[in-house]
Amino acid sequence: MSDAALHAHPARLRAANWIRTLAALAVLIGTVVILTVVFGRTGERIALLMCVNVAAVVALAVFCGNTGIVSFGHGAFMALGAYASGILTMPAGLQRSALPELPGWMAGYELTLLGALPVVLLVGLGFALLTGSAVSRLVGASAAISTLGLLIIVHSIAISAREITRGSQTFYGVPRITDLAFVLAAAFLFVIIARLYRESRWGLFVRAVRDDEDAATALGISPRRARLVAWTLSGTLATLAGALYGHSLGAFSPASFYLGLVFAHVVMMIVGGMNSVGGAVVGVVAVTILQNTVRNLEGGITLGGITLPEVFGLTTVSLGIAILLVIWLRPQGLVGGFELGPGAGARLLTRITGRAPQTPAPRPVTTETLHARGLSRSFAGVKAVTDVSFDVPAGRITGLIGPNGAGKSTLVNLITCQYTADSGTAEIDGVQLTGLPRHRIIDNRVARSFQNLRLFSGLTAFENVLVAALAAGSDRKTANAIALRELDAFDLGSIAAMRADNLPYGARKRLEIARALAQDPAILLLDEPAAGMNPTETDDLADRLIRISEDRNIGILLIDHDLRFVNRLCSHIVVMNRGAKIAEGDPEEVRADPQVIEAYIGRGRVARAADAPPPKDQALAP
Amino acid sequence: MDQLLQQLINALSLGGIYAMLALGLAIVFSIVGLINFAHGDIMTFGGYGIFLSMVFGFPPVAALCIGLGAAVVMALAMERTAFRVMRGADVISLLITSFAVSEILKVLFQNGISARPVPISFPASWSGSYQIGGMTIGVAPTASILVTILSLGCLTFVLRRLAIGMAMRAAAEDFDMLRMLGVRANRVVAAAFAISGLLAGVAAVIWTAQRGSVDPMMGFFPVLKAFIATVLGGLGSLGGAVLGGFVIGTLEVLTQAFLPDALAPYRDAIVLSAVIAVLLVRPDGLLPARSGARS
Repeated sequence: MSDAALHAHPARLRAANWIRTLAALAVLIGTVVILTVVFGRTGERIALLMCVNVAAVVALAVFCGNTGIVSFGHGAFMALGAYASGILTMPAGLQRSALPELPGWMAGYELTLLGALPVVLLVGLGFALLTGSAVSRLVGASAAISTLGLLIIVHSIAISAREITRGSQTFYGVPRITDLAFVLAAAFLFVIIARLYRESRWGLFVRAVRDDEDAATALGISPRRARLVAWTLSGTLATLAGALYGHSLGAFSPASFYLGLVFAHVVMMIVGGMNSVGGAVVGVVAVTILQNTVRNLEGGITLGGITLPEVFGLTTVSLGIAILLVIWLRPQGLVGGFELGPGAGARLLTRITGRAPQTPAPRPVTTETLHARGLSRSFAGVKAVTDVSFDVPAGRITGLIGPNGAGKSTLVNLITCQYTADSGTAEIDGVQLTGLPRHRIIDNRVARSFQNLRLFSGLTAFENVLVAALAAGSDRKTANAIALRELDAFDLGSIAAMRADNLPYGARKRLEIARALAQDPAILLLDEPAAGMNPTETDDLADRLIRISEDRNIGILLIDHDLRFVNRLCSHIVVMNRGAKIAEGDPEEVRADPQVIEAYIGRGRVARAADAPPPKDQALAP
Repeated sequence: MDQLLQQLINALSLGGIYAMLALGLAIVFSIVGLINFAHGDIMTFGGYGIFLSMVFGFPPVAALCIGLGAAVVMALAMERTAFRVMRGADVISLLITSFAVSEILKVLFQNGISARPVPISFPASWSGSYQIGGMTIGVAPTASILVTILSLGCLTFVLRRLAIGMAMRAAAEDFDMLRMLGVRANRVVAAAFAISGLLAGVAAVIWTAQRGSVDPMMGFFPVLKAFIATVLGGLGSLGGAVLGGFVIGTLEVLTQAFLPDALAPYRDAIVLSAVIAVLLVRPDGLLPARSGARS
């Protein structure tokens, strides 16, 4: 890709994102038109419920798709919305007979649907914030199970609070005031909101957390807050969808929102593809068609002279089989891992050109210095790091070397608060880092890369860097420009639109450094950036790091095994062995240190080396 | 005092059922990463095994053994048909798969047997009670506590002393490594499912003996509680699952006994909210499973 194409990338991404939103909307409107034209009144009824389901499943996917946590708790929000909206809109006379014991402050509002929805929204928002404060602390399967707990809690409350919900009996008298145009408009709005959120700052943050929580935290993203935002938006939307569902049914009971409904919605989401809004829409459409076809069979039909018996629960079975087939054959769902529609690299968009942006100058680095003082940490009696002190000043590349298990990575984890230090501190210009929450480290301009690759595999290369710039506090426009600057600096422009997990190894390694640099750090901690690279790639990386260190005056702490690489880059080297610092100084000093030679080569060789010194350059070559 | 002791026995009896179900879930989860939503249906199938063998005229004790066997067979069949092809898939895919399997099985139970509860009539002596020091204690709760202790004891023996048990504990730590050492993956996984099925079968026996009927949802609700128990104890930790099961059983019995009538319907909500409150303080559970992740 040329520079011009790279500069056009943000504009193309924006265009691609809108096309993807339109693609999802087109699938929806197309299905609605076909249903109403071909099947008349019946089709209209099916289309209406389908639109309500689109709203509900899109709401569900706002949380599940972006966080990677499947929620079984959204039935709770839908129940809340349906009952709240039902009570608010019910005619007063009917309400007195249906709910004679309704508390006075709840009774007799007789609102219109549009009057009730803002209230329902606020109720949903409040409930989502309350439950989200708990759910957002959990991850993975624990989070999924706790949402199931939420569903059970709300279900049992709905059954118990008889005076408000009529208990497990049917709650009737809810005005059926939704028509197809209204729910279609609502579904449109939900799709657009979900798409906007997905590509927004917080949407990118939470997807980064989904792909790699540790790396996202190191960039300065608070995983809990990111998940809370997703849960709150998702729950609020689900509450509104529940209100629509209630008004479409007219009469319902707590069981209407229990596992049956939740199962159906989860199936729709998974079948279409959980990671995208387009997937949610496609899933609802596919499952709606399947359900209605099977429902006709359920009553027993005659096929070629053979009458099939009536089978109860055939719809459930077909949903179950559909989901099994999709998971076995297409684990990412019908749409796949990406949104429906072209990516920013599509040929369709090559005509969009961008002006070269004002490349923002990196924030100046002057005399910032990272001081590690007496850092120690032991794991169950093993002393991984003992009393290590050194400085990483701005403008210098400081090497940190040592044999495997010397405690180098642990040390980086102590500085960045990944682990808590047993004793000792890390500070930068008088600000203590030790004891800060992990996502606050970047506020003090200390960024890091990881020993094992920790990219956000579901995001493109561009988005990986963009998310880092956003997390460091830049606005969207500046962040775009910074991302382009770093991709350019690491020669990654041509793959900006590719997903991180499709990149070749060397490119991934460079991308991780580009991501850290997009945060405009004063001090950069690089944990084995050249590991696994071939010699050409290593030399290339060394050139780039030297240039960056000179141009931007950044202080770099470089951990590596490749001593040639370290010797070439570093003017100051710290050597660790068995958790302790054994030497420090310029490369020549360190190379001559007998303790260092012993740590690397072993005692016997040292004795022999004393007899016949090997050629100087190869002494420490790996 | 009497009442307290009585409730203690009830708590141990109910907690024991939850503990066995939770332990079955935890064994499978720790090895293949599956949270088995269909675990309840294994228990239900065990119940139907008892029902059907009584219908065909087997004596009650034989019927119970057939019920146990049915649960094991169901667990193994499930592993072979649905989960073996999914080996190595992520937790969410596995969870959803088991969700689907569970829904399908429930429909099969409804159509194949009955959507309504079917009665199982055990000898009257089983539901009797006896007196100790002026206290009336039910036979069934006593038996269930004994059976629970016996099952947990046997399981501890299997896991700690037998080769297959040690292989399973090793698999929970690092399955790939175990396979490289030449242990057959399929055997270890099948053994895990068989044990979880057996535990579900024992739970089914105790449950039906106390309640006297089976319906398609019989296993579902206790297993929901067992899910919560595994998360409360620490997902993937076997000791945690047992502890979580007893904690939830105890909480339920205590709220049932001592909650004022006005609040009684909210029992489940109160117990679950308490569990979630605990998770807020300890997100990894009471006895977290160890993990060796490196950055």
